Amino acid sequence: MQVSRAAPGPEDRQTQNRGTGSGGTSTGCAEVAVPARPPGRARAALAGLRAPVVWVLLAIAYFTAISGKPLDGVLMLIVAAGLAWDAGRRALRHPGSESPPVARPARRPGGRRRLLIMSALLAGGAVYAAVVGSFSRYSWPATAGIIGLGTIVVTIGWHGPLRDRPASGRLPVAGTLAWVAVLVAGCLWELGALLQQPSLTTDSYGHPTVSTLTDPVLANSPGRAVVLLGWLALGWYLVER
Amino acid sequence: MNSHEVTIAGYLLVLAGIALLQVLATRTRAPIPSLGDLLTRAMRSRTGRVGVLVAWAWIGLHFFAR
Repeated sequence: MQVSRAAPGPEDRQTQNRGTGSGGTSTGCAEVAVPARPPGRARAALAGLRAPVVWVLLAIAYFTAISGKPLDGVLMLIVAAGLAWDAGRRALRHPGSESPPVARPARRPGGRRRLLIMSALLAGGAVYAAVVGSFSRYSWPATAGIIGLGTIVVTIGWHGPLRDRPASGRLPVAGTLAWVAVLVAGCLWELGALLQQPSLTTDSYGHPTVSTLTDPVLANSPGRAVVLLGWLALGWYLVER
Repeated sequence: MNSHEVTIAGYLLVLAGIALLQVLATRTRAPIPSLGDLLTRAMRSRTGRVGVLVAWAWIGLHFFAR
């Protein structure tokens, strides 16, 4: 009887090599010479470093940490490492193509149910903004509220879009470059202001960063609640993409 | 103009650039994608999707968290 088998993928090969120790040269397997390779996880992480997003997150982690927010930096570092490992694992499994996130089947609740869900989300968002906005900035309760919601949203996004979306075509190159130029200019302008402060953790009136400019708005509860509502709305818009 | 005003003018210029591109994208036939199209395209891959959502989470962390 003939048994048909698909060719083993990189992970399958890894499994087959398990137990051979130092590159498959252990006693009893001497007839098969397997060249020494880094362990699977390390190889996956190295392959994942090819994703530009990982480098952007690492840069954010670095600049955030040196500007006096080590917790943010560590969180960014954890996500960058997780993303590198995940992207690398997928790249090793499907070489040459980055698999798009798996879209969940389109299950849009209709009419009355959708209205109820939307109302509940709006009410929940308003309560969240009011409660988290009532805590002073940089306090532990505010930190817990932001990290909790951020973790939930990123975890949802990691598993793919909420519903199936039609594949978008290629974007016009010149127009896309115009967006990139404006957004990069904004980031560099902010970075320039940050670097011209007396120190990275001391605000400057002469060279205010966006954070410094928003301080008066975020100094009171209503201001914080309004900004948090905007942040929630942006998050919902992105999750729906 | 002092350095404070120059810095703020720079931010306003960037905001004006974003508004201009968005208007050109949505109100004219110029070959410019809207910001929404750009984000949608960036979020087609898993790394792009996670990257954009983490950037969103970072904004909240930056302004409110320790």
